[in-house]
Amino acid sequence: MRPPLWRRRQDEELDEELQSHLRLAIADRIERGESPEAAASSARREFGNELLVKDTVRDMWGWTPIEQFGHDLGHARRALWKAPAFTLAATLTLGLGIGVNAAMFSIVRAVVLRPLPFPAPDRLVQIDEVDQRGGGDRRGAVSWPNFRDWQQRAASFESLAAHHVSNFTITGIGPAQHVPGAVVSASLFETLGVNPAIGRGFAPGEERVGSDVAVVSDAFWRDQLGARADAVGAALTIDGRRFTIVGVMPAGFVFPIASPAPLVWVTSAQDARVESAGDTPITEERGAHYIQVVGRLRQGRSITEAQAEMASVAAVLASDYPDDNLNRSAAVLPQLEVVVGEARRPLLFLLAAVACVLLIACVNLANLMTARGIARQPELALRVALGGSRLRMIRLLMAEAAALAVLAATVGLALAWSSKRLLVQLAPADVRGLDQVTIDGSVLAYTAAAAAVCALVVGVIPAFRATRGDLRSNLGTSRTAAGTRSQSRWLSGLIVVETAAGVVLLVAATLVIGGLDRLSHTNPGFDVSQVTTLRVSLPDSRYPFREQIAFYDRLLPDLARLPGVSGAALVGPLPLSGSRFGISFDLPGDRAVETAKRPSAGFAFVSPGYFRAMRIPLIQGREFSASDNDGGPRVVVVNESFARRFFPNADPIGQRIKPGLSTTEPETPWREIVGVAADVKQVSLREEPAPMYFVPYAQGMITTPHLVIRSGGAVETVPESARRVIAAADPELAVYDVRTLEARLADTFATQRFATWLLTLFAGLGLLLTAIGVYGVLAYSVSQRVHEFGVRAALGASSGQIASAAMTTAARMVVAGLIAGIVIATALGQVMQGALEFVDRPGLETFVTVAAILLVVAGVSTLAPIRRAVRTDPMQTLRSN
Amino acid sequence: MAPTRKNRIELLQGTLDMLILEQLRWTPSHGYGIGQAIRAHSGDLLRVDAGSLYPALHRLERQGLVKAQWEISDRKQRTRVYRLTPGGRKHLAGERSRWEQLQAAIGGVLNRARTDEA
Repeated sequence: MRPPLWRRRQDEELDEELQSHLRLAIADRIERGESPEAAASSARREFGNELLVKDTVRDMWGWTPIEQFGHDLGHARRALWKAPAFTLAATLTLGLGIGVNAAMFSIVRAVVLRPLPFPAPDRLVQIDEVDQRGGGDRRGAVSWPNFRDWQQRAASFESLAAHHVSNFTITGIGPAQHVPGAVVSASLFETLGVNPAIGRGFAPGEERVGSDVAVVSDAFWRDQLGARADAVGAALTIDGRRFTIVGVMPAGFVFPIASPAPLVWVTSAQDARVESAGDTPITEERGAHYIQVVGRLRQGRSITEAQAEMASVAAVLASDYPDDNLNRSAAVLPQLEVVVGEARRPLLFLLAAVACVLLIACVNLANLMTARGIARQPELALRVALGGSRLRMIRLLMAEAAALAVLAATVGLALAWSSKRLLVQLAPADVRGLDQVTIDGSVLAYTAAAAAVCALVVGVIPAFRATRGDLRSNLGTSRTAAGTRSQSRWLSGLIVVETAAGVVLLVAATLVIGGLDRLSHTNPGFDVSQVTTLRVSLPDSRYPFREQIAFYDRLLPDLARLPGVSGAALVGPLPLSGSRFGISFDLPGDRAVETAKRPSAGFAFVSPGYFRAMRIPLIQGREFSASDNDGGPRVVVVNESFARRFFPNADPIGQRIKPGLSTTEPETPWREIVGVAADVKQVSLREEPAPMYFVPYAQGMITTPHLVIRSGGAVETVPESARRVIAAADPELAVYDVRTLEARLADTFATQRFATWLLTLFAGLGLLLTAIGVYGVLAYSVSQRVHEFGVRAALGASSGQIASAAMTTAARMVVAGLIAGIVIATALGQVMQGALEFVDRPGLETFVTVAAILLVVAGVSTLAPIRRAVRTDPMQTLRSN
Repeated sequence: MAPTRKNRIELLQGTLDMLILEQLRWTPSHGYGIGQAIRAHSGDLLRVDAGSLYPALHRLERQGLVKAQWEISDRKQRTRVYRLTPGGRKHLAGERSRWEQLQAAIGGVLNRARTDEA
């Protein structure tokens, strides 16, 4: 901070006045016969410390508090400028600490704290159905009939809307393409409080089948429709059916908040359509839970009130429709919480971890400041002698800390800015808001607050310590009052604190590294290498169920014949794609089981050759063959867990089960178990093996499958050749979701990998700073005890004895810190497991590893000071005092 | 760096101000000159260091008792010369009489003590 202009002129005048004083004094002395050199130096000596004189005069001028602060800062700036090594070390240490905090906070801000981009976002909630069967509460999706009953009965909400993501094939604009979109209730845009930028939203009547209207996103309007002014009212072919565009949403509108963002919205009419007259549409199936519900609370309604009302509404529905709704309740959650979801806890944990790094940095700086404060006691004594009050001294030292904090915050922000891109690249891709990480006002405010706290922590205590006692008694001494018992206790205390913080970070890093290692070495149960997966959209309008089967029956052999391809199959849902289907079934036996208590297990439909293509071992029986088609007997393959759970004492082959699944059959058929396959991980590598069964796709394809293509050689060329084969079969079909199985596997632990990288980085920083701190304090204590070591050496102490004397201090501090850190880490074990579910509780092995790392690093950092202690020359020491 | 304490008398608060004003009563002078004059007239007993002199001068200036002006000295140097203002003259007179009263009072006490001893 620069003083105002008039103040600067006054400063310059004072400077000139004092210079003239000196010149006059020198001239006088020369006249009296001194040599010019001697005159200059004695005049200067008599004059005393020029800076101090100026300071005291400036004090005379009187200051407003702001000028005072600016003046203190200016003073601090000059003082720091005169100690460049100290300033550089302090700025870098604190800048690093503040930088990682600013960077981490900018991520937390973008992902966790930033409100949803809708008007009055606090009033937006998500309402889930809660499955209370079997004890625990499982939140899950809603069915259309339940949603409509909520809409009519719940008074807590201004408006409720339903939505689910979907994918559409758009034809007629260039080649066929697959676009992400959503099926929504007509009330969605109104509930969110966002109107289309052009045209209108959906009218309630447009939920009826045959309405065929669509709203498109700003991006779609620009990229696909060339930003046509007459886009509203234009036709758009979606899944082979002609829709009319009624509105274009404003730029930046994304809902449902999903990755990739939806580009096209259609009404629930899309779901209400049936293949043949007389079928029940899924929008009338109370048991079909697959939609999400968003609500806007009435002004002044709390979530608790809404929750209470929804529980009673759900209870009424449960008694009205016991077949579907028995043991089902409803849960109201802030929409933001749902959107942030699983990212919240790991990110907050990482923020706590960087706070630890900052603590260590602050402690290091407090160390430096303390040592500097001691070294400056003679100067402070002089200032006190010249009439400076203790308060004024403390203020000066605080100003130095503040100036350092400002410098460090600047360095930190620069660091955060430059590391932002790296952090975002390391982060898992599907976390909302990561594309919007930025250094905004709140990040600046957070950084400023962190810097201010640091300045206080780092400034106050050393300032009080440096100005303690009768400073005047130090006047004229070059030896300082350091090395006192209280001084060394204070410095050791700092080292214990930072070692403990370092240990906590190290424990966390060791645990996540172990956890990630275990995850990445977990066998998913199939061979992920060289497998390409993709999907083809078959529009229902041109491909009814039997046509879809026929299409894949033709396509799979064509794909398998491609050069380099060793197998092609299909499956739905694909393991590691994020979905799991569960379908309940009946076991043989004459007991009639209530619907709500039927056993349930994982479900998938697969093509012949699927287990071979995925290299999933078959334990017993056979895989499906081409003859397990719609005309063949109904068959099923189960996994090992299924066989063990439901047929523990019998040969599962030849047993029959009746899953609640039918496609072309007049009534739900019994199916015979023909094979037992090994267990595989379906959603996450951390899941326990669970019962699951597979049916031939010709007898149970209920959703768009994934094609899996195993190639012998390079996987890179597979997508292109597969596209050609599919285009040859039907040029109107869009190919999408093309990814290798390996990439999908890596995605399942992207969050864990991110947390591990960052924690390891933070722990490394923490360890480095701790080592620097240990080095600093030990080097300082050795320099204070050089005299003592000299005397000891003179009295015949061996190098070993001196080394151990010097070492004891450091060893005590580090071991105390280690123990404190281990105690804290043990106490935090549960918090950590809650935040990062893939880690173990810290155990003996962890602590041994951490202790080993810490002791080695601390040991290395003591080498130089101890060498100095041992090399003390007794003669020189004795002579110097 | 620490000044020698030998042959130095700590001036009471306010006394330095009076001595400065007294010097300026005879002739305007710059800071160095004032310091030298006090030292010379006190028989080298009172040494006013710069750290006390300049704050005092600037305080007096602020109080309107002296005023300062940049002038070229006989040694061809630009110096900041202080002179007494009428207010300063009045203030000095008041201070001087207070000082004389104080001196008489202290003298009386000390002399009485001496008489008692005898």
